[in-house]
Amino acid sequence: MSTAPLRDLEQEGRRNAGASGGDYARLRELLVGPEQSRLEELQRRLDDRQLRTEDLSQIVAEAIALRARRDRSLQQALNPMIEEAVRISVTRDPSVLANTLFPVIGEAVRKSVAHALRGLVESINQTLERSLSLEALKWRIEALRTGRTFGEIVLTRSLRYRVEQVFLIHRETGLLLQHVARADQVIQDSDLVSGMLTAIQDFVRDSFAGTGGHEIETIELGEFNLWVQHGPKAILAAVVSGTPPPELRSLLQRALEQVEAECGLLLSPFKGDATAFAQARPLLESCLLGRQAQRSATHSRSFFVAFAAALLLAIGLLIFFSVRAHRRWDYLVERLRKEPGIVLTGAERSWGKYELVGLRDPLSTDPDRLIRASGIDPGKVRSRWEPYVSLDTKFTLSREFLAEKSALEQAVLRFPLNSAQLSAEQLAKLDDIEVHIFKLQNDGAAMGQKFAIELQGHTDPTGDEAKNDTLSQGRAEVVSRALVSRGVSPETLRVVAFGSRQPVRRASAYLTELNRRVTFRIITENEVAR
Amino acid sequence: MIKKKICMVGAFGAGKTSLVSRFVHSIFSDKYQTTVGVKIDKKVIQHPVGEITLILWDLAGEDVLTTVRPAHLKGAAGYILVMDGLRRNTLATAIDLHARVSEAVGNVPFVCVVNKTDLRESWEIQQADLDGLIARGWTVVETSAKTGAAVEGLFRTLTDAMMQELHVDDSTADAVAG
Repeated sequence: MSTAPLRDLEQEGRRNAGASGGDYARLRELLVGPEQSRLEELQRRLDDRQLRTEDLSQIVAEAIALRARRDRSLQQALNPMIEEAVRISVTRDPSVLANTLFPVIGEAVRKSVAHALRGLVESINQTLERSLSLEALKWRIEALRTGRTFGEIVLTRSLRYRVEQVFLIHRETGLLLQHVARADQVIQDSDLVSGMLTAIQDFVRDSFAGTGGHEIETIELGEFNLWVQHGPKAILAAVVSGTPPPELRSLLQRALEQVEAECGLLLSPFKGDATAFAQARPLLESCLLGRQAQRSATHSRSFFVAFAAALLLAIGLLIFFSVRAHRRWDYLVERLRKEPGIVLTGAERSWGKYELVGLRDPLSTDPDRLIRASGIDPGKVRSRWEPYVSLDTKFTLSREFLAEKSALEQAVLRFPLNSAQLSAEQLAKLDDIEVHIFKLQNDGAAMGQKFAIELQGHTDPTGDEAKNDTLSQGRAEVVSRALVSRGVSPETLRVVAFGSRQPVRRASAYLTELNRRVTFRIITENEVAR
Repeated sequence: MIKKKICMVGAFGAGKTSLVSRFVHSIFSDKYQTTVGVKIDKKVIQHPVGEITLILWDLAGEDVLTTVRPAHLKGAAGYILVMDGLRRNTLATAIDLHARVSEAVGNVPFVCVVNKTDLRESWEIQQADLDGLIARGWTVVETSAKTGAAVEGLFRTLTDAMMQELHVDDSTADAVAG
């Protein structure tokens, strides 16, 4: 409807009024009188600003609501105006806006500060932990070398966590927009898990947090962590096993922001079509960081246990052998110290080598025999023994015995040619021989040394052999009888006939008479056994 | 891949959970309802535009002590109001719930269900009551959790209504853009 033709009609009417008089006007009034007055009323309303404003004010709210429901052009149109209005308001009097925001700003600041502090504490803990480890040092070097940030290296190299699943959830409805998981994960129906997770968040918020607008950020369950990041339109929930580094949280937050921006979540309302979020998949998959933490840990643990056991066994054996060698050495040293005829002046032991220094009576026990008896390898022992004479009774007796033995064995009883009779001169020698024999018997009894006395009869080389044998036998028996008659026990005496088979070396043809003799030999028990 | 959040509300003991238990996929036990206040099930519907996944929020029954949490209703694309034909007071609860739900989620499609058709002769809710609801523009479906009658149809009706809504929205959006 336009007002221009109406206006033309009126002007024409006024012009014609003068010419054709009141007839025309009257006719017109009759024909369109009521309509004209309505038209005039409409014209008046349109011209009257006040009235038009009143009319508009009655419908403007509904019109805005209607348009806002259809699309976002109204919001876009209003946006610069609202910004400008806020700016003007702040310029004019900042206190108005400040007072309006006051109730919310405290809460917002408190929440933000608490969040930042918690992050700070986490990162301080981690920093302390890391600054002391060799692993972290390696990471820092790698970061310097590759030009990547330390955080990136931590996320890719850390063995203590693994992101198992990532859920992208529409915040308002709890509908699952996208879900990625490791191939080896047992997956419950992700749609239902997503919905239930949202419901539980609502439940926790309603039950404990009141209207504070807090959100669940972490749920811990054994070795699993559920880390939840909240965006204006979507929620990113990551199921993480092990101990994730705090850097992971900011990575998840960045991924969420990127998804929200790229998938147009912020612009158009979500109507249940999740197809558009397929493009977010690669981004979510990039969040599946970390490695199989537990398994490698168990591996290295079992390896460590085996290694420790082997080490302990080795140490145990080492201690055992060392203790045994020590005891054997102590025993040997003790034994040598107690041994008569041996004076130990030094016993050194170092790195499996042994050294013994001391004095030794030639009559004492052979030290090598004692070393072998102790279990120590004689090849490892270097010993130096200086000879000496021990005054120990055992050795004085032994020495006396040997002296008497030697004296007796040097004694010779001589006989005339072809005779077994001792001359008076030779019989006198028997006194000395008798003394030697009694001394030997005394000493032998004291030492426990048993012995026999061999009486050896000899002849000179003249005459035939059989006759010489008989003659030498007769000479030895004469001496034997003489000794028995002087009180020597006949059991200790043995008679041996050598004939002329053992001539005196010194005897030449001129001194052949030296061969006509009886000599003595002491045969100790040991020698008999031999 | 279209997904829709559906809420199921009704008086305590109206048979919401048993109504759908045989027709939906569920991994959670019934005790969630008494603890968290909601149990979530899934129902996949074949539709001309493709497969539609309904995520069914089975909210705890409404009674003197328990009221529906508005947070649980957020973002629902449709809802099911359940009444017990044997108890007249569930009708009043349903009417009350309808008012509260539409306030929370807006004017979204819904289906009103009168349960326990297998005991129809003992119903307290009369046909006249139902006619009154239909006159308000409600879609009323009579079902039986025991026999399973009309339960599949119930989901289909609601899905169709929601998809129509989606198309209307799309067409208006197109018109504005053109």
